[in-house]
Amino acid sequence: MHNCDSLDPLVTPFVDGALPDADRRAVEDHLRKCPPCHSRVAAERAVHELLQARRSTLCRTTAPDALHLRCAEAAKRAETAELENLQNLRTQNLGTQNLGTRTQNPEPRTPNPLLRRTPNPLFSARLGPLALAASLVVVVGGAFVYQATDKSARVMAAELVADHAKCFAMNSALGTHQAASLVEQSMASSFNWQLHLPDTSRAELELVGARPCLYGEGRIAHIMYRHRGRPLSLFMLPETARAQEIVEVLGHEAAIWCANNRTFVLVSGEPRREVEQIASYVQASLH
Amino acid sequence: MPRQGLRLVSPAFEAEALASLDSLYRAALRLTRVPADAEDLVQETYLKAFRSADTFEPGTNLRAWLFTILHNTARNRARDRARDTVAIDSEIVDRAADAPPPGSRASAVDTPESLLLRETLAPELQTAIDELPEQFRQAVWLRDVEEFSYAEIAKMLSIPVGTVMSRISRGRHLLFDKLKALRPANA
Repeated sequence: MHNCDSLDPLVTPFVDGALPDADRRAVEDHLRKCPPCHSRVAAERAVHELLQARRSTLCRTTAPDALHLRCAEAAKRAETAELENLQNLRTQNLGTQNLGTRTQNPEPRTPNPLLRRTPNPLFSARLGPLALAASLVVVVGGAFVYQATDKSARVMAAELVADHAKCFAMNSALGTHQAASLVEQSMASSFNWQLHLPDTSRAELELVGARPCLYGEGRIAHIMYRHRGRPLSLFMLPETARAQEIVEVLGHEAAIWCANNRTFVLVSGEPRREVEQIASYVQASLH
Repeated sequence: MPRQGLRLVSPAFEAEALASLDSLYRAALRLTRVPADAEDLVQETYLKAFRSADTFEPGTNLRAWLFTILHNTARNRARDRARDTVAIDSEIVDRAADAPPPGSRASAVDTPESLLLRETLAPELQTAIDELPEQFRQAVWLRDVEEFSYAEIAKMLSIPVGTVMSRISRGRHLLFDKLKALRPANA
């Protein structure tokens, strides 16, 4: 049924075994009757088979070890790029005095064009634990579907630390400053959380404001403070219970406790002892 | 603007992606023919891949995805280099590909073709491949050595599937003719 021209588009898939049975049989029929077509198909098949047979020889060239290392490094860099940004934002945030003048977040980092640069050893060292936490975040799922009870404390803490840094960066850009009464009102209306904020003057705390978290579909309350000028966050996760503990993650301490079927997490980049003290102060004031 | 959530590379994704490094490097070498350029190309490919890992569709061929990024990157680089005037006019190439391979239909090869090629030496084969015009070389290599599907190759090279097949066909025939000419019996 096939003439030689109509065979053209079928030769290659025929040689590659990619034709449906009916087409394959039709090609075979034609080849039996047509020596020229038989030979062109045979030529193509011979090359195909030769290349396949010699694949290991043809693929003997391997990439230099240094390239392997650099590409593995690229993975680490992408893995930590977001966290790196957050770290930078946090640092900038701490050092920014004129909060009202900045109107936008710093640009996200673009890949360094000098691809072969050696990473700053100090920075790598600092990011070491971050990469681990980052992997954990991914394992659970980056979207942070609100399933706080299913997560390890460390993963939850990592996400909240990320949010802590983001919210402070945003706040630094927007220059928000909310009064205690406003925050209390918003907590009551948004989270049905009747609270009296801790007396800030006694713990060198300064209330910055509150926001529903970007994460957790807005179901996590986030109250931002500055403690001696440094960012400190108090998160409230409704309807979850967790063991009390303090975990170190992403260069921050996260103090976790539970009261009235709510989980509270206090996040700060300050030393553990300091964070423990503030946490117990806040805990005592709140409940 | 609120920033996106953490987009991170899972260890499994990273490991699987890095496992293709050698074949990506070989592809880069075929594209650039200069080891230093090939290394840069591969590294840029991985940076892009890891940064856009969230756009990879799980369940699809990760290696093919990486090859697509590599070829796109190489194309963009070539485009950026205005002085790169050796690029073959792809329309001419495709027209050539659509023409019947010279001699293949008229001249009946009496010797069984596979026997003919069996004696091909590795350096001969490598040289013959290297001498193929770029488009045919890529198509044949991606199909016969890297074993990608027509659809995957079409995506990588940004050409229709039909063109992929005709380039493979044409490339194989050119290669066959080159190798046949090397055998004393046919000289």
